[in-house]
Amino acid sequence: MCINEAPINKKLIVRSFRNNELREFSDLESRLMHLGFMDGAQIRIARKVSLFSGPYLVEVRGRYVALTAEEAELVLVEVLE
Amino acid sequence: MISKIALVGMPNVGKTALFNKLTGSFQRVANFAGVTVEKKTGWIKENGQEILEVIDLPGIYSLDATTLDEKVTKDFLLKKEKDKSADLFVLVVDATNLEKSLYLAFQLKQLGYPLVIALNLMDEAKKRNLHLNLPLMAEKLGAIIVPMSASTGEGVRELIEVVKETLKKGTECELFIPENSQKTFRSPSYVNGIFKEIDKLLDEVTITKLTPDTFSERIDQLILHPFWGIFILLTILIFLFQILFFWSAPLQDLIEFGFSFLSELATSFIQNDLLRSLVVDGILSGVGGVIVFLPQIVLLFLFIQFLEDLGYLGRAAFLMDSFMRKIGLPGKSVIPLLSSHACAIPGILSTRVIDNHRERLITMMVIPLTTCSARLPVYAILIGALVPDVSVAGISWLKLPGLLLFALYAMGFLSALGIAFIFKKTLPQTSPSMLLMELPPYRVPKFKNLLMVMKNKAMIFIRKAGGIILIVSLVIWALVTFPQKNGVTHIEESYAAGIGRIFEPVFKPLGFDWRITTALIPSIGAREVVVSALSLVLSVEGENKDGMTEALVENFGTGTLIALLMWFVFAPQCISTFAVMKRETNSFSWPLLMVFYTLALAYGVAFFSRQIYLIWF
Repeated sequence: MCINEAPINKKLIVRSFRNNELREFSDLESRLMHLGFMDGAQIRIARKVSLFSGPYLVEVRGRYVALTAEEAELVLVEVLE
Repeated sequence: MISKIALVGMPNVGKTALFNKLTGSFQRVANFAGVTVEKKTGWIKENGQEILEVIDLPGIYSLDATTLDEKVTKDFLLKKEKDKSADLFVLVVDATNLEKSLYLAFQLKQLGYPLVIALNLMDEAKKRNLHLNLPLMAEKLGAIIVPMSASTGEGVRELIEVVKETLKKGTECELFIPENSQKTFRSPSYVNGIFKEIDKLLDEVTITKLTPDTFSERIDQLILHPFWGIFILLTILIFLFQILFFWSAPLQDLIEFGFSFLSELATSFIQNDLLRSLVVDGILSGVGGVIVFLPQIVLLFLFIQFLEDLGYLGRAAFLMDSFMRKIGLPGKSVIPLLSSHACAIPGILSTRVIDNHRERLITMMVIPLTTCSARLPVYAILIGALVPDVSVAGISWLKLPGLLLFALYAMGFLSALGIAFIFKKTLPQTSPSMLLMELPPYRVPKFKNLLMVMKNKAMIFIRKAGGIILIVSLVIWALVTFPQKNGVTHIEESYAAGIGRIFEPVFKPLGFDWRITTALIPSIGAREVVVSALSLVLSVEGENKDGMTEALVENFGTGTLIALLMWFVFAPQCISTFAVMKRETNSFSWPLLMVFYTLALAYGVAFFSRQIYLIWF
């Protein structure tokens, strides 16, 4: 599932990006990676909805990162039991 | 030759705070990413001698730069222009966020740079119980690490000594830039590899771990709430405008008293009529009429800086992102738009953090509609003339002038959003920009920093009053005073009247006569000038703002004053804004379009407002 579908306040593990068969990574994917959204990284959704729908506030590598619904859709995650 | 060092690091790690400490400068610092968008230069001095040149570079997450400001740093680091690069890079690292901010350390190490690391925010890290084995960390990184705090100054002296020693030993190095570097820097295996190295290093060197920042998250439950968050944002803004009007009143009275005293003194001591008029009407009235708004302007800057230092502006961007996207702007544009309420120029420069060219352009184009501090004196005078100082809804602190001021600022902001929507519909579509940004932890603003901001802004305003405003006041005084007949001034036959009358037909539908058009012309240079210019053409005695408001009502009537107020809500920004727009867009077309549409909007709204008033009243 992507971040948009994941539960709030649960520990999640990043499982790569959507469309990662593309070898050329976009600016957006690069920025996501450099903010810590890497395969195997542990993250947590701290807030899910702001005004209307999205953006998301996600805790990653000890800091809070704000990302839109479209950006959140790119990151595939699994719930860490 | 003086050696050159450059400060690099992730955004919001305290590079500019360190730069200010090292050089004694006062560059803008704030608690959000992307404050520095172009490189800045200063000097470290010892015994009055410049010993080192220091360059403050925009923050960068990695060498894979995606925004304009990041590219400046990347080019500098990869020595794209060798003579413009530095002899030594000092990597500023946030001790409370080592998991991310060490990323660049590993990249620079791989490139072959000698590493000097300024481990900033150590005071905060210690308070949160972080203990590191620094000698081991230095050994593992092959770097010299100086623990420090740019805000308290602790460790800054040691850093200078380390830099001097390192430069003495020589910093010549051969760079190992990978082939097809852009592709390498963004390959998942490369990025993952570095993060793994960071985690391994931190496992080895951490004695006690950093206590998590649960405070920020608890506050954000309320601040970023879909309903309460917006409510709090609006409350903050309404509160700000009440403060601007009423907290500044006692200080304004004091300034007025000072200038009245000087005017009386000049009137009694200067015998020559012309010289007395020059000093009292030209200098004291012209400059005093603007200086009287100093407390309001300083308070405005103080409030904006307070919100920035607190870490609130980044939250405002997050809160507004979804709504802003619907009208064609990214959430990130909230920061330049809000900052532009102080001055449009840094606002336009800060749009560099927006990675999408189209969205950046739209943000720049609508920034002139936000109300910069230079319009505050004009608003204050016109509001004083238009509405009484009464409470609203029986709430003693909620005053009508403050509410009207809030409404004017809101009008500017909302019209910016409306125009952005039109640009969204007309400019060719591209993929939307990223929001993706780290929200900084909340930090208690440092009193000293706030004090320095107030002092700095006050000095800039006073210099402006003593420079362009004084010059314009003198020119207008001369234009209003001459030619004289038998030593007597007839203002209706003055040069000012002649110039004003040339433009009068154009502005007649707005109710503006030659006196207002004469005052409007110099306001192209600086908005505030219109207050002193009006006081001169209306022959208001002294620099009392109550006298000015009375004179405005008597001479022009409410309809025309409403039109004048609307004119200033929408009229083009000063000439400096035009110049910055030209530089940032690298064209004349966009700044010209900006001037054209704001002029048309100002004229149209002023005209219709006056007509509506005349029909209804």
